Amino acid sequence: MGEFARLNFYCDEHRCINCDGCSVACAEAHELPEYISRRKVITMNEGIENMEYSLSIACMHCTDAPCEQVCPVDCFYIREDGIVLHDKDKCIGCAYCLYACPFGAPQFPLDGAFGTKGVMDKCTMCAGGPEETNSHAERELYGQNRISEGKVPVCAAMCSTKALLVGDSAEISDIYRERILSKGHGVKTQPYGWDVAYGKKM
Amino acid sequence: MANTWGYGAMTNSLGDIQNAKAIIIFGANPAVNHPVGFQHFLKAQERNNAQMIVVDPVFTKTAAKADIYVRIRPGTDIAFMYGMLHLIFKNGWEDEDFINDRVYAMDDIKAEAEKWTPEKVSDVTGVPADKLIQVTKLYANAGVGTLIWAMGLTQHSIGSSNTRLAPILQLALGNMGKEGGGTNILRGHDNVQGATDMGCLSDTLPGYYGLSEGSWKYFASSWGVDFEWLQGRFKSPEWMGKKGFTLARWWAGAINGKDGNDQIHNAGTGLKNLFVMGNGITSIAQQAKVKEGLDSLDMLVLCDPFVNEAAILTDKQDDVFILPAATQFETSGTVVATNRSVQWRTKVVDPLYESKTDQWIMFELAKRLGFYDEFTAGMKIKENKKDFTWPEDATDEIARIIKTIGLTGWTAKRVKSHTENWHMFDQISGRGYGKMKGEYYGLPWPCWTEKHSGSPVLYNTNRSVAEGGMGFRNRFGLEHDGTNLLAEDGSAPKNSAIEGGYPEINKDNIEKVLGITLTADEKAKIGKNWKVDKSNIIAEKCMEKGLAPYGNAKARAKVWTFPDQIPMHREPLHSPRADLVKEFPSYEDKSNHFRVDTKYVSKQTEQEWVKDFPINLVTGRLVNMNGAGMENRASKYLAALTPEMFCSINPDLAGRHGIRDGSMMWIHSPEGTKIKVKAKYSHSVTEDRIFIPFHFAGHFQGEDRTSNFPAGTAPYASGESANTVTNYGYDIVTQIPETKGGLCRIEYAKEEA
Repeated sequence: MGEFARLNFYCDEHRCINCDGCSVACAEAHELPEYISRRKVITMNEGIENMEYSLSIACMHCTDAPCEQVCPVDCFYIREDGIVLHDKDKCIGCAYCLYACPFGAPQFPLDGAFGTKGVMDKCTMCAGGPEETNSHAERELYGQNRISEGKVPVCAAMCSTKALLVGDSAEISDIYRERILSKGHGVKTQPYGWDVAYGKKM
Repeated sequence: MANTWGYGAMTNSLGDIQNAKAIIIFGANPAVNHPVGFQHFLKAQERNNAQMIVVDPVFTKTAAKADIYVRIRPGTDIAFMYGMLHLIFKNGWEDEDFINDRVYAMDDIKAEAEKWTPEKVSDVTGVPADKLIQVTKLYANAGVGTLIWAMGLTQHSIGSSNTRLAPILQLALGNMGKEGGGTNILRGHDNVQGATDMGCLSDTLPGYYGLSEGSWKYFASSWGVDFEWLQGRFKSPEWMGKKGFTLARWWAGAINGKDGNDQIHNAGTGLKNLFVMGNGITSIAQQAKVKEGLDSLDMLVLCDPFVNEAAILTDKQDDVFILPAATQFETSGTVVATNRSVQWRTKVVDPLYESKTDQWIMFELAKRLGFYDEFTAGMKIKENKKDFTWPEDATDEIARIIKTIGLTGWTAKRVKSHTENWHMFDQISGRGYGKMKGEYYGLPWPCWTEKHSGSPVLYNTNRSVAEGGMGFRNRFGLEHDGTNLLAEDGSAPKNSAIEGGYPEINKDNIEKVLGITLTADEKAKIGKNWKVDKSNIIAEKCMEKGLAPYGNAKARAKVWTFPDQIPMHREPLHSPRADLVKEFPSYEDKSNHFRVDTKYVSKQTEQEWVKDFPINLVTGRLVNMNGAGMENRASKYLAALTPEMFCSINPDLAGRHGIRDGSMMWIHSPEGTKIKVKAKYSHSVTEDRIFIPFHFAGHFQGEDRTSNFPAGTAPYASGESANTVTNYGYDIVTQIPETKGGLCRIEYAKEEA
């Protein structure tokens, strides 16, 4: 990852098969309540021939994040690597960020006797929050901090077809370019077999 | 498959699918059932411009990725494949040399295919004639094509004919024994291939040795026990060679012909005890009969990490034992993948709480039953040990004994070295590099010797036998009706000492076929034939000459011991086409089919089923679950994806019955059973069929039985079992249930006040 890296998600529409491996991995890793969907796979035109397609969607960690701009208590902050995080201790649960977000990423609790909204929760790109890195408090409020350990966010790590890519936007575009360029050029593989026959020194 | 060319297993591998130029999928939904493996299909599309054709009664997630989707009526795959063959022969798209050199009785197929014009096929299958022509032209001319199938092709009363015609289609096109080709059956669960290889079947000893006396004697001596002692365990000697009950119909054994149920042939007694180890028997067809069977038992033992819902289903009050079994993460040993390759699995944690590993349970049971020493003797033989080390010595025992599918090379040491060095293998071909050079990942069987590379692509004559090449197996004799069954000249694997075909190698023919002279010492040690040659001299000598120990023969399109010598279309027992039932009736009823009398034509013609049950019923899987769904529904996040049992129903069909999206509906089966499920509008099914997933249990015919769970063990999601309404019907050879082509009736379920 370069000095000027900006971290992004990208979901390859041809590869996504709506297996929900990403969303289950996310929920499991961060031990989310069942009403919080930090990540969700959306399928359009399900069951209709030639029309069905799926995409995995979470917070897209926008550069010019609308949530950050509209928040009345200024609880959002954008890291140098582009990850958009927020401070749950500042958040007042007004849901204004949900109005602003083009992806429906902000999530609100549904518990409590009268369905109180509580503070907002969203994808952290597995980078935790403002609390001390890898502290118990961070874990409780924001879930795992895999980025601090040099790990790929759990959704992309679990993606069964490698449709969901995450990382420095330059690297993601390299991976995607390679997929496009290799189209129809055959399989890159070592041939079956070896030149030396059985029993001889390899 | 085994009856066509020798082995009943996936011929290539998931990775190899990337080499295909065309992919045709019959009754499989890998995007849902093999999501990780499905990346190879997608890569084949991307890199190879491979065209993916999906033939399925339901528009699946796999179909959503297909280039061409073919909506077929359930149970008519044979008609469709003959339609393809009709066009292939008519247009000269077949591989004549391949058929001449390596296939027996293709002419019989050609004669049958002639009857299946596109118009006839269209009438039977519901597939428009132009679509059949489009698919066939594309598949036959794309270059090498791979043919994929799973339970959608096998779970029919004609399943064993389906799984013969699919290979025949590949043989006609010369797609066998090639990278990017083959018949690739997708195994549905972890280690299914390994379990099958180890003989978790009622008609064979481990390694597909069958139940003949010779096989028993080979195993007795290999296990280090007396044959007479083994024989003495049976009621009388002849029972040793008889096939047992199957998983599909064990309950008939327990019911023992009571109340008009099918009669059994079990030495005058019913089944008294059932011991279930890690099997979701609530995902077996005819759930009401399963319940009846469970209720009839004297004793029921269930070993699972989660509560097996058989315990919830039964009304039996006493002598039901639930044993907590450990998971795969709490033990170690080998597992075999769908492509016949083996991996070592390492223990992650010690068994949690009071749970015990499967082997612990087995050993303790053997001790209590008084044959622990005999049970474990085989593990000590190789090094003449006093005690054994689990699981290494068990792995080595398997390698020592199983010659039929070539497991000789699978020693514990080698398997571990592969798993530990998995990064040193090419991801597509499985070819090793660095210190793993000369071996394919996981040593896909047959792996003939302790130095053999493994065989990534079965029946590939472009490789030497030492590097995994081989012809078809010589399993059905040397000639039939005066025709040579061995391969013709020029079709031997690379570097073979013999140009053409040769028979399977045995003690008597080895010197003549191989052109060698054995020493007196070798003669003393060598076994009777390659399958029972404990010395492995036959395999070693064959490697030197570039020969496969099992011979080099022709695949056969005709199986003269089967009820249908060539695959024939027969309507499902419950068919929506009464006119076609007359034209393509099912088999005569079969007595003593795996010990149970089984109905075919009498069931099919008992009444005109379609009058009362006009809707086709198709069952299948969901991506977040597998099998009976016990462990998946006990996972909060997996259960949350599909918290309720549902039925995919076309809005037009639902509307006619007053069923709204999300309302409850009843599904009635011809067997008089019913389930109450939630309607889910979906265009993935047409108006003539519905789809239901089979992962739910805990409810039975409208009754919630989850209060039967021991405290704290109920899963997050429960529901009706699809198999409560799957129909009667079993394959004529294997007895697999006909769950993929039944009938049903639906109605709106009124909300109870």
